[in-house]
Amino acid sequence: MGQTQTAQETRSAQAWEPKVVAFLCNWCSYAGADLAGVSRIQYPPNVRIVRVPCSGRINPAFLLRALQNGADAVLVSGCHPGDCHYIRGNLVARRKFALLKELLQYAGIEPERVQFTWVSASEGGRFAAIIAKVVEQVRELGPNRKLVKTP
Amino acid sequence: MMTSHPIEMRLRETAEALLRDRKVNLFLGYEKAPLPFRTAPLFITAAEEVERLVWNPFCTLNLAVYLPRLFAISAGARKAKAPPPLPTVGMVVKGCDARSVAVLIQEHQAPREKLVLVGVACQGMVDRRKAERALDAHEALGAGEDMQGNVHVVAEDGTEIILPREEIITDACLECRSPTPSIHDMLLGAPVEAKDTGAARRRTSEFESKPFDGRWAHFQEALSKCIRCNACRAACPMCYCKDCLLDQTRPRWVGAGADISDVTFYHLTRAFHLAGRCTGCGACARACPMGIDTRLLMRKLSLEVEALYGYRPGEMIDATPPLSAFSMDDSQAFLTEP
Repeated sequence: MGQTQTAQETRSAQAWEPKVVAFLCNWCSYAGADLAGVSRIQYPPNVRIVRVPCSGRINPAFLLRALQNGADAVLVSGCHPGDCHYIRGNLVARRKFALLKELLQYAGIEPERVQFTWVSASEGGRFAAIIAKVVEQVRELGPNRKLVKTP
Repeated sequence: MMTSHPIEMRLRETAEALLRDRKVNLFLGYEKAPLPFRTAPLFITAAEEVERLVWNPFCTLNLAVYLPRLFAISAGARKAKAPPPLPTVGMVVKGCDARSVAVLIQEHQAPREKLVLVGVACQGMVDRRKAERALDAHEALGAGEDMQGNVHVVAEDGTEIILPREEIITDACLECRSPTPSIHDMLLGAPVEAKDTGAARRRTSEFESKPFDGRWAHFQEALSKCIRCNACRAACPMCYCKDCLLDQTRPRWVGAGADISDVTFYHLTRAFHLAGRCTGCGACARACPMGIDTRLLMRKLSLEVEALYGYRPGEMIDATPPLSAFSMDDSQAFLTEP
């Protein structure tokens, strides 16, 4: 019995691929991801992109909801401070993000599960590198079992 | 410790004068409740009723929770050419109530000029669960206060028991950093200094010393008791949203049941919405019928807000709330770099 379980676990571990939901702002990070694509920069295909108007649009509920529905990690990316299309959307968001990350970490959710960064429209290479890093970290952590809603 | 009796007398006199001189339309306070260790909220509009007002170690409720509703303007009234005038409300405030009122004023939920705040420096209010535990096998029939401010209990078999007040005040009182009201129009009794300003920090560090999985396990175990009655939200003076995210059905952010994932979502979201706003009054924890330490997350967030943005809700009425503002050099050490 014990052996069967181990075999099953090994099989599912092999089949498991990290699922990362990335919320990218329309003006910088989404264009950065686009640039990575048109420049044919290779990055792991484990990321699902959701385009949002601004990183200031991010409601913490989006991120919690993604984790609840089976994402192994979430990533939020916006314009660099000072470059926001809406002048200060990302600056106001930055405070929210700092507190949210602390809160989730305190509750026991690993910091790698919820990540934040800035990627500009010209940083295709940076976007690819960040995705590669996030996917690698999540692969090491294993599937998300916290907060996931099981029907 | 001192007995609350002289304050009760002065409170009645003050309320009577305010109502008699029409300085307030309504006075909010506490009245005797039928069960020991409790008081009930009291709303009086006539000077003759002030005898019902009490002040004792059981005035735990945070009366600020009623203010947004008292000052709410209905959609119909807003459209009317001459909207009905807002009431002037007098209320008795402890340190925590005053902090909550201050945040409500900042958030435009209560106009300062329509409030008459009768402040009382607070010596800590009794947690009825702690008191009941301290009585062991005995059951209290009645509870009062002795001359030293300690709690005097008459048990079911006639035994009289004295419970030292320090041992049975609420956790929020033990962590309170401003027992003397931060805003008030008059102050009854002498100001009180905070006893232990590091209590919240110690509790938080203790929890933080556990590994991630240990913290998650503790958190989940605590929340597994939650029945989603929403009492914590109802008791919270800061939870006044008319259309709460947690009640919305389009989209439905969170399931209505007691599924552990939904319960976790509820508590994380509620905590986050109180970041930089929670005044640590402990109303949520006292309202919880399951005895969950609902302040576990708020405690951490409050400390974090203070460390990052130097802000303590309710104590800095002229400062901009930290989540409504930003600075170009806010910390961004949490960001992922390639």
